[in-house]
Amino acid sequence: MSSLKLSGVRKSYGHVEVIKGVDLEIKSKEFVVFVGPSGCGKSTLLRMIAGLEHISAGDLEIGGTRMNDVDPSKRGIAMVFQSYALYPHMTVRENMGFALRFAGVAKDQIARQVQDAARILALEPLLDRLPKELSGGQRQRVAIGRAIVRNPEVFLFDEPLSNLDAELRVHMRIEIARLHKELQTTVIYVTHDQVEAMTLADTIVVLRDGVIEQVGRPLDLYDNPANQFVAGFIGSPKMNFLAASIVEKSAGSVTVALRNHSGVQFTVPASGGAVGEDVTLGVRAEHFGEPGAGAADIRLNVDVAEHLGSTSYVYANAGGESLIIEREESRNEMGQEHITVSISPERAFLFDSKGQRIR
Amino acid sequence: MAYARLDRREQLTGWAFIAPALVLLGLFMIYPIIWSLWMSFQVGKGMNLSFGGFANIERLTKDPVFLRALGNTFIFFIIQVPIMITLALLFAVALNDSTLRFRGLFRTAIFLPCVTSLIAYSTIFKSMFATDGVVNQALMALHIIGSPIGWFTDPFWAKVIVILAITWRWTGYNMIFYLAALQNVDRSIYEAARIDGVPAWARFTHITIPMLKPVILFTTVISTIGTLQLFDEVYNFTAGSGGPSDSTLTLSLYIYNLTFKFMPSFGYSATVSWVIVVLVGILSFLQFLVARDRRRT
Ligand SMILES: Nc1ncnc2c1ncn2[C@@H]1O[C@H](COP(=O)(O)OP(=O)(O)OP(=O)(O)O)[C@@H](O)[C@H]1O
Ligand SMILES: [Mg+2]
Repeated sequence: MSSLKLSGVRKSYGHVEVIKGVDLEIKSKEFVVFVGPSGCGKSTLLRMIAGLEHISAGDLEIGGTRMNDVDPSKRGIAMVFQSYALYPHMTVRENMGFALRFAGVAKDQIARQVQDAARILALEPLLDRLPKELSGGQRQRVAIGRAIVRNPEVFLFDEPLSNLDAELRVHMRIEIARLHKELQTTVIYVTHDQVEAMTLADTIVVLRDGVIEQVGRPLDLYDNPANQFVAGFIGSPKMNFLAASIVEKSAGSVTVALRNHSGVQFTVPASGGAVGEDVTLGVRAEHFGEPGAGAADIRLNVDVAEHLGSTSYVYANAGGESLIIEREESRNEMGQEHITVSISPERAFLFDSKGQRIR
Repeated sequence: MAYARLDRREQLTGWAFIAPALVLLGLFMIYPIIWSLWMSFQVGKGMNLSFGGFANIERLTKDPVFLRALGNTFIFFIIQVPIMITLALLFAVALNDSTLRFRGLFRTAIFLPCVTSLIAYSTIFKSMFATDGVVNQALMALHIIGSPIGWFTDPFWAKVIVILAITWRWTGYNMIFYLAALQNVDRSIYEAARIDGVPAWARFTHITIPMLKPVILFTTVISTIGTLQLFDEVYNFTAGSGGPSDSTLTLSLYIYNLTFKFMPSFGYSATVSWVIVVLVGILSFLQFLVARDRRRT
């Protein structure tokens, strides 16, 4: 149950800098999720916290103590790896108790702790099996059990569910959320699955290219993204981006014209921006309305429509821009070539040409 | 089996395909093996052989030179194989460390001896350990010894040199097997152990060694066979004598001497050969027994 603080943390491999100055504070008992595209440095950052990678510059504090040069085993952390990293020649029981033998814990105490962890994770019937005799989900539970047994202040997870099938992932996700509630520890969790991020996190840290793009609660990131990258990364399906330019500006609002829909223009609440500036309008798939319900209508060519039962996703385009539109199930619309939807400016986002939010 | 029986013609075709290999194997392997077994019951000198029943086996038990060779071979085996396996393991683990610089260079250097010419390296060892060789000179210069050691004239040191030589030659060979096995080990297993506070020695004894067990067993059996057949080094170092006073005589060298040096005694030398076969069989079996998974298979 420790807080963490990263200040100006950097990591270079040779001349290549992969973590470019990360400042982050994590409160005790918080569930923090690092998300970002592949190769953005999530694992590297986590491994630096764990002590598996040397910190090139900056400071790492865990529970108020500088930990840069402290041995991984003395940082009060436990880590769960994507590959499970179980000891293949040891039974589940031995896997979970192995490390405690070197921490000077008495034999019966080890047995008790292993038993407790096994109960929490429903591993009791499997204690005498070898890892190769377990399913993927069971292995992952053993890996989590091995971490729990050590009673760490901070849990680190590196994509723990990405080797599991979809159904098991949902199950384990709920399991991990339950564990966090039960154990009341600080958790740092790496994933590139944004559903995991949205459902598990107290706080999401969005990373790109070794820098933090935004830190916030899941719904804050969804409702109020700081930039186009976060807007596009959080939320499924992805946010739609329409090219536009500012044609008029008044106090508290700007009027934008859509580039690919001639004659379509409307005002958006925003105090930034300048007349003539090229901007991008972001609209989530679920925020398009019925024709006439918003400030302006746009007409699109339908490419494909997916009907999922409760909702439909319409993949459409106009002037080379592809859009995804979420509709309520509408069987009678099947087979249409065109679709007209409305845009509600108060639910749209404006980004400048550098991708920064214009508020 | 529910498979349709192959008809006669297909069977013949099959046999015809493997016949050449079978003939060669039979001619150059199976026939000599059976013949040597038959030979081992023959007594007499040169070509003048007759069936002697168990006479050769009886002779073994009373032959001091054979017992000496057997003892020497065992000493070489008991001392050299564990040293070499341990060294090879340590080298493999050290050279598997991704933070080590010049890894490739070290790996090559340690592997190289086993591809060098046998004669060349024997000759160099001989000259290095000659009475006025570089080793004696170095030791004297460092004042570790007062007068030169007769490495090849002292029974103890002669054995040490042989062990040194074969260890030098074959450690890298074994190391390659371990390195290959280690590179298949998931790195995060060691990272997990590090985070969990498992000390380095315990990672070696409790993780590395158990995971390499099948490879260790394999290399131990191979090395056992190699050491029981030890011949070239002692032959080269001692000009075929196994000296001084038989102190480096091995079973293989004795077989050679029985066959080609003394008045040829083919029957008896075949018997000694079969002693090696039986020993390899017993020792390999014991090693499998020790390495068997105690918990389950
Ligand atoms: N040992 C290394 N040497 C050089 N570059 C490395 C090393 N490890 C990682 N990198 C680089 O650092 C960057 C970040 O890697 P990292 O593994 O942290 O990405 P990630 O965000 O975890 O991606 P993923 O989602 O694919 O796991 C990548 O560009 C990678 O190529
Ligand atoms: Mg990663």
